[in-house]
Amino acid sequence: MSWPVRPTQQIGTALDHVAGMTLAAVLAVLWGLPLLYSVWTAFHAEKYSVQFDLTAPWTLQNFVEAWNAAPFGLYFINTVLLSLMAVSANFVLCTLTAYGLVRYRFRWAGPLFALIMVQMLITPEILIGPNYLTLARLGLIDTIFGVALPYLSSAFGIFLLRQTFKTVPASLDEAATMEGAGMWRVLWDVYVPLAKPVYLAYGLVSVSFHWNNFLWPLIVTNSPEARPVTVGLSVFATVDSGVEWSLVNAATLMTTAPLVLAFLLFQRGFVDNFMRIGIK
Amino acid sequence: MKLNRLLGTAALAAGLYGTTVSGVQAADLEFYFPVGVNAPAVETIQEMVDAWDEAHPEHTVKAVYAGNYEETTTKALTAAQAGNAPDVAVLLAIDIFTLVEEDVVAPFSQMATSEEDKAWMDSFIKGFTVDTVFGGETYSIPFQRSTPIFYYNKDAFREAGLDPEKAPESWAEMIEIGKKLVKKDDAGNVVQWGTRVPNLGLAGLWLLGGMVYSMDGTLTTDSGTEVQFNTDATLSAISFLKSLAEEGIMQPGGVTWGDTPKAFIEGNTASMWTSSGNLAFVNDNAEFEWGTAFLPGGNHPGASLGGGNFYIFKDTSDDEKAAALDLVKFMTSPENAAKWAISTGYVATSEAAWETAAIKDYTAQLPQALVARDQLPYAYREVATFQRKRVAQIMADALEAIIAEGADPKASLANAQSEVDKILADYN
Repeated sequence: MSWPVRPTQQIGTALDHVAGMTLAAVLAVLWGLPLLYSVWTAFHAEKYSVQFDLTAPWTLQNFVEAWNAAPFGLYFINTVLLSLMAVSANFVLCTLTAYGLVRYRFRWAGPLFALIMVQMLITPEILIGPNYLTLARLGLIDTIFGVALPYLSSAFGIFLLRQTFKTVPASLDEAATMEGAGMWRVLWDVYVPLAKPVYLAYGLVSVSFHWNNFLWPLIVTNSPEARPVTVGLSVFATVDSGVEWSLVNAATLMTTAPLVLAFLLFQRGFVDNFMRIGIK
Repeated sequence: MKLNRLLGTAALAAGLYGTTVSGVQAADLEFYFPVGVNAPAVETIQEMVDAWDEAHPEHTVKAVYAGNYEETTTKALTAAQAGNAPDVAVLLAIDIFTLVEEDVVAPFSQMATSEEDKAWMDSFIKGFTVDTVFGGETYSIPFQRSTPIFYYNKDAFREAGLDPEKAPESWAEMIEIGKKLVKKDDAGNVVQWGTRVPNLGLAGLWLLGGMVYSMDGTLTTDSGTEVQFNTDATLSAISFLKSLAEEGIMQPGGVTWGDTPKAFIEGNTASMWTSSGNLAFVNDNAEFEWGTAFLPGGNHPGASLGGGNFYIFKDTSDDEKAAALDLVKFMTSPENAAKWAISTGYVATSEAAWETAAIKDYTAQLPQALVARDQLPYAYREVATFQRKRVAQIMADALEAIIAEGADPKASLANAQSEVDKILADYN
């Protein structure tokens, strides 16, 4: 049985649509404004930072100045190393943990998983002291590996992968086992390929987390050889003498450029996957 | 470079041979420093540390940038608790109570004991040494100190028919002159305010402290265990602050610290109350003639002091402490104090530094910088107590509620007072 669609309903739907699009456009502009502003200030002299004069001369001077204010080349390499180290270790460790929890329903799997989840309740800042002490005892203060160490595995990663692995139909797993695949083979050929979107999404989130992490690396490192870009960036937060937005924004754009580029490249996969994970 | 070092070692060894019997042990120093001013500060501090390193080939020193003040203190405390303390660090002068409570710093007064050392410790300008002392011991040496001053646009003064050489001295004059400086467009919108006094957050509290001091009050006493927030002095300072907005001289509601220098150089306000640390910024960017003066005061001028001092950490060997002491002496020598002040805008900390040729050249070019020094006799330590972060936050929140939300001043002050009294009860 179908109800006749009344004209007012159609108008209502169309209005909804227009309202929705307008809202989306307004939000997009609101979201984009800070970015636009930082691009504007980064490419102009300081005095144009609140004068939006379209004829104002463009300049790259801010970038030169920012680049020279700290050893950013070195910091970039460190940040990339740090992110790669943390993300690859996370992939391996979280995958194995999740696989174990899902496939082998051993006796304490439930409580163990609950215990892992409880870790997400603890804010990382509280752990700075104890983690520092551990690193000091291991002699890993002031090393990139030391910065990465507390982040090599994560409850969130285990959670994400566990939930994804749980959706893999048991029949697929059984079929592979019947074909003679061992447990590693099953993991590699059945579970991992099905979780690819999750890896991509989690990888990007993790990279951006490590890219942005500041306080922990600042505290456990002393040498430029071990410090990430965020530490270089913080030199510009000069509250005692007035903030120079053109310089700050040039430095910010410079340090976030790789992430923004990565996001644009993987945008489709990124957004789609997040939608899917969110719905689950 | 290597040859230099070798020669240096030889010369030093020869020198030592003649003067002292005990040998100097090599020390590896770690020095944490924060940065609160423009980026060249990092370079300048590195240069100064390198110069000391070069002059002392038997020692090494590693200067470690540690973020802003708060982050540097966190880093130093975390490291100290893990038995990994730096040897020397520049930390907030007012963190003395926290550092003493955590028992991580060693008093200078027990390390610098010779006549020469005592003379050195006495060489700093008195205002700066108030917050170096606790329980009769001196725990820190003044280094990067700042104080707020009054900046004003002389062109705007002329335009309003005011004498550009006569800045307001009292609160009453501030209001009278401020009214004349306000400019509106045809639609009645203000295009130029009379003044701008940051009144939000810890910066707002910093300025309020100076106003209270100008009324012969003080927000916190030297003991670190007493807050005098709910007083007539505070009330009159707050009613002055509120009257600025009520009289239409200052933008109503909360006024932020960070945007203030910008508002001034853009002509959005004809004057501002902000740190002497902004001298270089204003000088580089202002396209009008500008001057500086004492902050207008209640009974007399008054201002808070801010900034960081050198601390030496406890958990280091005696040789390292001796080397660290020597480094601190070097960094605070008149020449270096002058160099540091010139490149950063901080206020040079000793009279001798103000007598150096370098600083005289500098103040000849930028006479506005002298005001900060001349105002020092009227300046006093900023809010400092045990549990400083919590205490200061409660006070800043009360100020914000009064200014931005229109809360009743008397009730808000009384509330905040009883809250901080509870926190400090453990220390009395």
